[in-house]
Amino acid sequence: MRITLALALLVALFVLGPLLVVVPMSFSTANSFEFPPPGYWLGYYRSFFGDERWLTPVFNSIGIGLATMLLTMLLVIPASFAMVRQRFMGRSAINLLLMMPMIVPNIVMALGYYTYFSQLKIIHSPLGVVLAHTCLSVPVCYLIIAASLKGFDRNLERAAMNLGASPLRTFWEVTFPVLRPGFLVGGLFAFIHSFDEAVVAIFISGQAASTLPRKMFDSIRIEADPIISVVSTLLFAVVLLAVLSPLAWRAIVKARSQFRAA
Amino acid sequence: MTTLRNERALLWLLLLPVVGFLAVFFLVPLSQVLYFSVMDPGFTLKHYTAFITDGFYWKVLFGTFQTAAFVTVLALLMAYPLAYMVVRLGGAFATTILLIVTMSFWTSFLVRTFAWMVILGNNGPLRAAMEMLGIVPAPQLLFTRFSSTLAMVHLLIPFMVLALYSVMKKIDPNLTRAARSLGASPFDAFRRIFLPLSAPGIVNGCTLVFIMCLGFYVTPVLLGSPREQMIAGLIGQQIEEFLEFGEASATSVILLAVTLTVFALYNRFVGLDKLWG
Amino acid sequence: MTVFDRHMNALSQTHSQGVVMTQAYLEIRDLVKSYDGKQQAVRGISLDIRKGEFVSFLGPSGSGKTTTLMMVAGFEMPTSGSILLGGREIAPVPAHKRNIGMVFQNYALFPHMTALENVGFPLRMRKTPAAEIARRAAEALDMVGLAAFGGRHPREMSGGQQQRVALARALVFGPDVLLLDEPLGALDKNLREQMQVEIKRIHRELGITTIYVTHDQSEAMTMSDRIAVFSQGVVEQFAPPLDIYQRPTTRFVGSFIGDSNFLDVTRQNDGLVAQGIGALNIAAPSQAGKFHGLVRPEAIGLWTGGDEQGHCVLSFLIEGLVHYGDSVLLIGSAAGLNLRARLPSVQASHLHEGDTIRIAWRENDMHLIPVQ
Repeated sequence: MRITLALALLVALFVLGPLLVVVPMSFSTANSFEFPPPGYWLGYYRSFFGDERWLTPVFNSIGIGLATMLLTMLLVIPASFAMVRQRFMGRSAINLLLMMPMIVPNIVMALGYYTYFSQLKIIHSPLGVVLAHTCLSVPVCYLIIAASLKGFDRNLERAAMNLGASPLRTFWEVTFPVLRPGFLVGGLFAFIHSFDEAVVAIFISGQAASTLPRKMFDSIRIEADPIISVVSTLLFAVVLLAVLSPLAWRAIVKARSQFRAA
Repeated sequence: MTTLRNERALLWLLLLPVVGFLAVFFLVPLSQVLYFSVMDPGFTLKHYTAFITDGFYWKVLFGTFQTAAFVTVLALLMAYPLAYMVVRLGGAFATTILLIVTMSFWTSFLVRTFAWMVILGNNGPLRAAMEMLGIVPAPQLLFTRFSSTLAMVHLLIPFMVLALYSVMKKIDPNLTRAARSLGASPFDAFRRIFLPLSAPGIVNGCTLVFIMCLGFYVTPVLLGSPREQMIAGLIGQQIEEFLEFGEASATSVILLAVTLTVFALYNRFVGLDKLWG
Repeated sequence: MTVFDRHMNALSQTHSQGVVMTQAYLEIRDLVKSYDGKQQAVRGISLDIRKGEFVSFLGPSGSGKTTTLMMVAGFEMPTSGSILLGGREIAPVPAHKRNIGMVFQNYALFPHMTALENVGFPLRMRKTPAAEIARRAAEALDMVGLAAFGGRHPREMSGGQQQRVALARALVFGPDVLLLDEPLGALDKNLREQMQVEIKRIHRELGITTIYVTHDQSEAMTMSDRIAVFSQGVVEQFAPPLDIYQRPTTRFVGSFIGDSNFLDVTRQNDGLVAQGIGALNIAAPSQAGKFHGLVRPEAIGLWTGGDEQGHCVLSFLIEGLVHYGDSVLLIGSAAGLNLRARLPSVQASHLHEGDTIRIAWRENDMHLIPVQ
């Protein structure tokens, strides 16, 4: 038991440690990847926020991510209703189609898009990246939205109709508001999936539509640009904030209710 | 019945957008890969014969399998005690560990790959520590099979932990207690009760990690040895450096076939719908 | 006008017309429901429910009671047959135009709306002016004793409170019929009994025609004017509770409701002969040759001697005793039959397993059910 615990703690350290390394690196004065840093300053942060070569990919990634999110939701939400609520011929084939982009290795799709989008003349354009990312985001978005739809109590709809709401009003007054959180989570996953996707973006986004992961990849591979550590730290900080904030929120709510009770 | 016909029409109205979109922007490029793997410019199997007759390609394929298997086993051996302790101890310990794991899970592959670049780098802490311990000169760590394997284990452990945890947390703790009350030693209770019940998590986690490893591009390319490529890196090189789309397509089809085989095996014995639970 | 007044008015109108009370208000005719075209979930049900009546649909799960309810509410399309409300065919009317109130199994309160918004919902759908919605919704909540809880969301309320909100919501728009689908299933025993009283009170006050689906026989017995016993897609019997208990028309009804002993009874010559007992001194019904003789365990008593005329007296070996506090259930055998007898505790204090005793029941307490 004690050995297992020690082992578990070691693994936890192995998981956490490397994440923390990037933070001091971003404040380092060194112009190569040296650890521990010889000195600290904020110079690379200043460079990052003034550098078009980094800011453009950031905005590209956000824009592409938002467009992907929107398009994916528009495609997946209606389909999820059909898939979850109906039984029909060809349903399992469509189910497989919806999951396929998760099964095919990204490098294979990168090659496919590389040649296909060259023919369509949308290679190295944000549009091409959005179309590709939408395909790749469909499975994860579908899994989440279908799950929330499966958990939806259909008696709510029956109750609304029983109380006099037409089918359309039932959808807008009951079904949609109740499912909205699930839809948003599905959309958020589509955004993150696009924002983090590297392989396809490396091959098809080009200079003009370069996404942040592509820029980071090039930066690590070719330039050894120390600004990468600033970007990494910022991305890590976003994750940290996102993961910790629900926890902090719960603590605040709990503290407040205790305060009220006292 | 008109209502029935309307329902049919509505059904296809709901499905048509996504099916049409995936057909045009997913199935077409995918079939192009298949198509180009046998055309140059007329029908030919030369890309495949090149692959089969050249020992280099076999080495890449075999090396990829070896690395994927090694990473999977290592990730399992490390993730299992962690997930087990999370379920056993619960409370603040579990919250903290799960927090760390989710944090790692959501942090971009590139950020984590960069972190390993620093740790294993020539001016990094690991080599410095080795030299302090008297291993002079410290061996080259970066751009070796060791560095990419280690980084991949780190990158994929969260998937393994979460797959294990989601199964383990559903195991009724009274079952091992019952086994103990019936005379099983702690180890027997674990081996005969808990371990078999956690098997679905092991299968899921290993399948996920193995498949992700097979097609891993970013990390092996950035951290691995250029002489010991993995198959995804090879495809990238065929596209970018050699502009050999025929060969890249054939290699892609082989990677796809291998991946689909693993999925098919999983589907045959477990059922694909369970993989993403 | 309050919810209450409106219903009283409606009720007095039907009263003044006199005959209406005894006529069917909700008529279900030869109703059939099949999901796959082969197996039928509901196999030809006909029921006439009177205005203001409290009717229970009682049966095990899968017996078709909920499917029938769903067809009345308009959520399932009948495969064939018709449903008439006040003489008007409603089978083709969509659910939201039927004006039938329903309380669902798990309440189906809208989680994103407060209690008051939930109760106001049907009025909003009927384009009632906002001020009137606010007033009537508040009244309806008051009726179920939740006037102070209007601002809460369903998740902030207990199961019993949610139940009351669901009830208020189903009644606020003055529905023609109230349907309740196992409404108390999720509540614990004390709360169930409390809600049973509450539902009966509201039914009495509003006089609304009510269909109550349940698989709990005691709930059906205590609450209903009439019970429809469902089994395998048909109604086995539709009668007042006491009739159902004392004069079941099928063996299923006899065994599903209450505890029971069944004896095989056959017609021989002009008399009746019970298996293991012999000739019976009761008038033979005109039908058929074979019967299930139903004897309730509580109709069986200790035989203390005297004139055996009109009684079945048997020697009974006690194989097991179950103490209920107020009564004791004896399980054992007599004349080669397995029998159960229920005695008041005071009479059974000296009995033990393995004892052989004399038991008896009046021959008239045996109810004969023709074998189909």
